[in-house]
Amino acid sequence: MAMNEENVILKMTGITKRFPGTLALDNVHMTCEKGKVHVLLGENGAGKSTLVKIISGEYTRDAGTIWYDGKEVNFTDVRQAMAAGISMIHQELSLLPERTIAQNIYLGHEPMKKGLNAVIDYKKMVRDSRELLEKLGVDLDPNIQIKKLSIAQKQMVEVVKALSFDVKLVIMDEPTSSLASREIEKLFEIVRKLKKDGVAIIYISHRMDEIKCIGDCVTIMRDGQYIDTVDAATVDLDVLISMMVGRKIEKMYERNYCKPGEVVFETENLTGLRFRNVNIKVRAGEIVSLSGLVGAGRTEIAKAVFGYDPIDSGKVRLMGKEIKRPVPIKSVANGMGFLPEDRKNEGLILPMTISENMVSACLKKIFRNGFLNARKECEIGEKYVEYLKISTPSAEKTVGELSGGNQQKVVIGKWLETGCKFLIFDEPTRGIDVGAKSEIYKLLDSLTKEGYGILMISSEMNEVIGISDRVYVMKEGEITGELNRGDLTQERIMHYAIEGKERINA
Amino acid sequence: MLKRIKKLDVSGVAVGDIVLFLFFCVAAENFLNGYNFILILRNSCTLLVASIGMTLAILVSQIDLSVGSVVSMSAVMVAILNNAGCPLILTILATLAMGALVGLINGILISKFKLDFWVVTFSTMSIMAGLALVIADGATVSTQNEVLDFIGNGKILGVYTVIWITALVCAIMILVLKKTKFGYNVYSIGGSATVAGVSGVKVVKNRTMVYVLSGIFSAISGIMIAGMTNSGSPTVGNEYTFSAMAAVVIGGTSFDGGKGGIVGTICGTLLLKILASGLSLMGIPSTWQKATIGIVILVLIITDVVSEKRKNIKGLRRVYQDVD
Repeated sequence: MAMNEENVILKMTGITKRFPGTLALDNVHMTCEKGKVHVLLGENGAGKSTLVKIISGEYTRDAGTIWYDGKEVNFTDVRQAMAAGISMIHQELSLLPERTIAQNIYLGHEPMKKGLNAVIDYKKMVRDSRELLEKLGVDLDPNIQIKKLSIAQKQMVEVVKALSFDVKLVIMDEPTSSLASREIEKLFEIVRKLKKDGVAIIYISHRMDEIKCIGDCVTIMRDGQYIDTVDAATVDLDVLISMMVGRKIEKMYERNYCKPGEVVFETENLTGLRFRNVNIKVRAGEIVSLSGLVGAGRTEIAKAVFGYDPIDSGKVRLMGKEIKRPVPIKSVANGMGFLPEDRKNEGLILPMTISENMVSACLKKIFRNGFLNARKECEIGEKYVEYLKISTPSAEKTVGELSGGNQQKVVIGKWLETGCKFLIFDEPTRGIDVGAKSEIYKLLDSLTKEGYGILMISSEMNEVIGISDRVYVMKEGEITGELNRGDLTQERIMHYAIEGKERINA
Repeated sequence: MLKRIKKLDVSGVAVGDIVLFLFFCVAAENFLNGYNFILILRNSCTLLVASIGMTLAILVSQIDLSVGSVVSMSAVMVAILNNAGCPLILTILATLAMGALVGLINGILISKFKLDFWVVTFSTMSIMAGLALVIADGATVSTQNEVLDFIGNGKILGVYTVIWITALVCAIMILVLKKTKFGYNVYSIGGSATVAGVSGVKVVKNRTMVYVLSGIFSAISGIMIAGMTNSGSPTVGNEYTFSAMAAVVIGGTSFDGGKGGIVGTICGTLLLKILASGLSLMGIPSTWQKATIGIVILVLIITDVVSEKRKNIKGLRRVYQDVD
């Protein structure tokens, strides 16, 4: 792509970053111009976040050069980058829940009282925050504590925080992932205004529609490598997707739908902390998805029915049997398995071996008179290594050394060994690379053939559309729509997720 | 006024203080008189000043286990230097410097070299406790100095000097935490060191500063003890570490960090001291007092936690209804 050299604010070449065990970035380059939105596109784990964290000074690069604002730079911490006018909106919210909006906006660069070097001028801070919030069209009182805000409001505060000092380059890491359409429009307005002021923007997003809407050019990354930079206005979205994934997307999802059997899992008017009146049904042989924006209450439902979190009212039935006040041990005994989103902390014991993890949900099986039957443990481990095609030299390898995809297979094996018939997958492919993803999908498909019922929570639209029999869409704690396989489109799901029930017919 | 008290987030302990106070007024003879009240305040001073350092450490979601042994070391150091004929002002400065140095070592090892704060402060605790025993030769060192005695037992405008010192330290630290950049940084780092770091807060420097201050406050506490007892005992601070931790946590400063403050610690310390005073005036044998104190604290904390939990669940629901 043709670049106007005068307008270039950031130019990176040959950026390489190694983490223990992985090459996160391999010789990546990228150029940003003033007043342009540069979209950074790639799957989870493609290295986008690592790249922008190198720009913002959070990580240091192993190789490569960065020119910024006409000079070669070498930021070793965030403060230097901030002083140079680089600001970042983080993907995970980086706000302090106990502090007020004003304190968060000016965190790290609080205004000081004149003449008193170390004393903070809170009044000025509140005044400036109010001005900034107004200017950006966010209607919030700067004295409110962050923990009292909704997720969308927090996201907007995050945006305001990033613009609270003189910026020349703003990095936005998936800023719209938890915003509703009204706030997205507001954010885009802010972006357009920044562009007019000559600020360069690096924009990371998974949403294809946004690229055409605000992007000027797109850089695609895959598995830590630079693929291409194209013009956003003229590029075909299908071409973008195939560059991002590295192959045709159809092959990704293999699904042999079969006739569903008995109902294995059912909730009736289930109400808990962050959800209410939830009615879900999963039959044997089905993959049912819970879709919706982050914070809609999907994971909370899963945790409540499994027994982590309390239930206020309503019923949970497993294999037709009502489970009163579920706790994990009861849920497991009645045939439920739960594969959490945070598999490294909640699903596995990383320093233990594959075999030890496999038996960790059914320890009774391997203890005889209170003593460990090591041979049986090994047998179980080896059985699943073979059955689930886990790539490892032996079942005695520590789980922490496995790749994300193989770790997920160990969690699956762990639940299969308990003899359960109903599995909840929370973000089954998060942090798993593309090749292993399709293997996980194949595995899910073969599980349904064997009569397992699966409830899947996923934020990846393609995944939801690719393998689900049915989809429930949630918005703010309520189920706003149910879609059958034939009716599944991204637009319909987003409608229910963002607008709720009413608007869909309009 | 009520709103302000609620805002301080210590209402639970403050109420506990008042309830206990009223209870002992009725239950213990001689509890309700001015002299006893002042005695309680005076007895709170040394623990309170040491607890302020602990409050800072817990606010950045860490712990300083070396508090107690720095207290002991300071008391011993004051006594020995004074006996050696060192001018009192130099003695005090040297003692404060010792406290700051221990804090600096803790801080640098923990923040800069990323060593575990338990291991580091446990080690310095052990080292300082041991050194105090060595230089005191295992026994209490008595000492005489008019000014030192004035610090410990004298009065200014009818109020004990130690109470003035403690009030001053508390007032300064309340202002520092509330108004200064350092205070803001303490809360930010405690809330989330990662968030603070990516927002440009100097995490290493501020954490180190917290430990330095903790060391200095422990030293001040030790100097006051030396003045009050006209001696330095190498074991006088033994219970201070855990008592300080208790006072801080009872006062509502959470081990998660980023939440709480000095006012809570004052209430927490007073609660411990009111309990001790009331129980002994009630005639409960000293053998039973410790167990009783433990039980009362548990009951208070459980009530506090239960009501807090209820409030939180209500809060969650409210947030969620606001969204509609």
